[in-house]
Amino acid sequence: MTIAAGKEPSTLDVSVGPQHPGSGHFRLLIRVDGDQIVSVDPDIGYVHRGCEKIAEYRTAVSNIPHLERPCIIDAIHLNWGYVLPIEKLQGVVVPPRGRYIATIAAEMNRIMSHLYWLAINAGVFSGHTTIFMYGFGDRDLFIELAEMLTGARLTYSFLPPGGPRRDLPSEFQQRLTKLLNYFERRLVEYDRIFFSNPLVTARTKGIGVLKKDEAIKLGVTGPVLRASGVKYDVRKVQPYGAYADLEFDIPTYEEGDSYARFMVRFEEMKQSVRIIRQALEKIPKGPIARKAPLVIPEGEAIGRVESSRGELAYFVMGDNSDKPSRVKVMNGSFRNLIAMPYLLRNVHIADMPIIYGGLDYWPLEADR
Amino acid sequence: MSQETLQDFAGVWIGKISEVVKSITGSGPIKYMINWSRMYALWPVHITTACCSAEFGAMMGPRLDPERFGLQAVAGGLRQCDLLIVEGTVTKKMAKRLKIVYEQMAKPRYVVAMGDCACSGGLFHDSYSIVNDVHKIFPVDVYVPGCPPRPEALLSAIIKLREKIRRQEVFA
Amino acid sequence: MTAPNPSREEALVSKLKEHFPEAIKTSKIEGTHEITLSFEKGKLLDIARYLRDELGFDHLKGIIGIDEPTHKIIKVLYVAASFSKPELLDLLVILETPLDRANPAIASAVSVWPSAHFHERETFEMFGVKFEGHPDLRKLLTLDNWEGPPPMLKDLKFPEMGQR
Repeated sequence: MTIAAGKEPSTLDVSVGPQHPGSGHFRLLIRVDGDQIVSVDPDIGYVHRGCEKIAEYRTAVSNIPHLERPCIIDAIHLNWGYVLPIEKLQGVVVPPRGRYIATIAAEMNRIMSHLYWLAINAGVFSGHTTIFMYGFGDRDLFIELAEMLTGARLTYSFLPPGGPRRDLPSEFQQRLTKLLNYFERRLVEYDRIFFSNPLVTARTKGIGVLKKDEAIKLGVTGPVLRASGVKYDVRKVQPYGAYADLEFDIPTYEEGDSYARFMVRFEEMKQSVRIIRQALEKIPKGPIARKAPLVIPEGEAIGRVESSRGELAYFVMGDNSDKPSRVKVMNGSFRNLIAMPYLLRNVHIADMPIIYGGLDYWPLEADR
Repeated sequence: MSQETLQDFAGVWIGKISEVVKSITGSGPIKYMINWSRMYALWPVHITTACCSAEFGAMMGPRLDPERFGLQAVAGGLRQCDLLIVEGTVTKKMAKRLKIVYEQMAKPRYVVAMGDCACSGGLFHDSYSIVNDVHKIFPVDVYVPGCPPRPEALLSAIIKLREKIRRQEVFA
Repeated sequence: MTAPNPSREEALVSKLKEHFPEAIKTSKIEGTHEITLSFEKGKLLDIARYLRDELGFDHLKGIIGIDEPTHKIIKVLYVAASFSKPELLDLLVILETPLDRANPAIASAVSVWPSAHFHERETFEMFGVKFEGHPDLRKLLTLDNWEGPPPMLKDLKFPEMGQR
């Protein structure tokens, strides 16, 4: 950490750099006055790989692995959001069974991403390393099932334009139901170990309060928005996939502090289990995919999905060739970035990992 | 005797004594003990470079338990760590900081290049902001291909690195 | 959610057109969830304030830049939406305007929509568009990494993998 003299005589500029147990691939330039943070300047771009520029040089289908890598733990949502505007432009409608399979895979991915958040952003950043082991242990069980369905552990590339690549294997439904029964018992344990733990509640209640009108003005999204009292979820507002036929709730809390953000994600895991159970019962028979052309016709389209970190919108512009002429990614982490300098003012240094962990900022996704 | 001859005399004897110490500790059971202690306490640095860090986290989990090999993710300090795992794509902005981190680690230090992007540029090889050859920044000991490599592949790379440490000279 | 009223989008477009007769040039309604309006760049702040205060579009989802070297323009698109009005939750209003490619500049929307802060910094860095009035306009993603021209312009071609 480099240290430099701050502007006023009593302040100090500290760089919580890319090499820090509590920061990830991202730097925060903090100005501190004793133990209080005065202001914060986020320095991003350590993982900027130029995904939008590369997208103009690859064909529409071979773009999928590139656009999946920004948030590798949430790959199905990044894949689905990219494919929705292309299917709109090409006029391809995915058959119902394909949409149900994509929904099941997406909700499994949401559980995996929230378990990763729980293990690292909520666990390691606040010093609770037991939940790190629990979170990664259970996540591996879901990864095994995803590997059975798609063939890969993390980078699925499962949804080309037209529908999923593979149908559900024969034992998949049984194993998934067994895993969901086990996972629901584990969620009770997580509540006892972590979410009702007096140490965790003392560190998170009342910290980093984001009120409802401020959240709307700053344009934050995802669990951060729902923890501040705004009931907004793309799955209900503009349903895609099979969400229009399934019943689920949107957990919303009014307080807007870090504890509310933690609890929103915990409740979302429970709702995902509910969605998967219903989808496994209601899934119809039939074809899973339609053949889509290789060429993107001329035009522009926007497609939106609700990823684990918030609303993910893709803008795709085609010009009658097999390569898109412009792809723009508007993702949850980049939109939530503005909450960081806003919330990290006049707090203790020890509250910084809690606030950062509650926002679930994934630097790779924001940098693309 | 004058001051200079006294200093030359002492210098020659100190040189001879250090050679004797090196030849005793650089071979035989003492070399085995020193290399054994180095290979059983490899602490990785807490720097995540890009997306392969998700599989690095999975390796540190309870399934594979690398702590039985001595790999502990200690949030202590940079100077106590001796393993730098370059996980994934290295951008030009991050390459500068990786070099600083590498130079701050105390010797002996080892580098594992994890993932296709660290080995040779990988999926993003023609991007304008990344560094394709990491071996030009610092010397790499083990390369692990894969996108991302399975946690078992990374653990087997660590085991190969331990074999390399067991065989190497003490005063390299 | 009940199906949206089919003339909700037309009602909004006609309200905007009667309030800003010369500034709003063309409009397009895409399905039931998207309205695209092209406007004259000088009136950005007035249109933005009207959208926010009268119609309830309170945040920006993103700012998209599109480079078109054949027409010698850089198009800038603002994607605005509403969190507070329940009847407008699924609607996206896209405002687009062409800027001169040699010297692209437009007023900053941060005073109306604070959510535009980081989006404008990124568009400045990737396309070279200057947003006048932005409190802190500097490079965001490639700060000490890239010394050349703005990367997303079509002038910058990659050495391999299909020239454009």
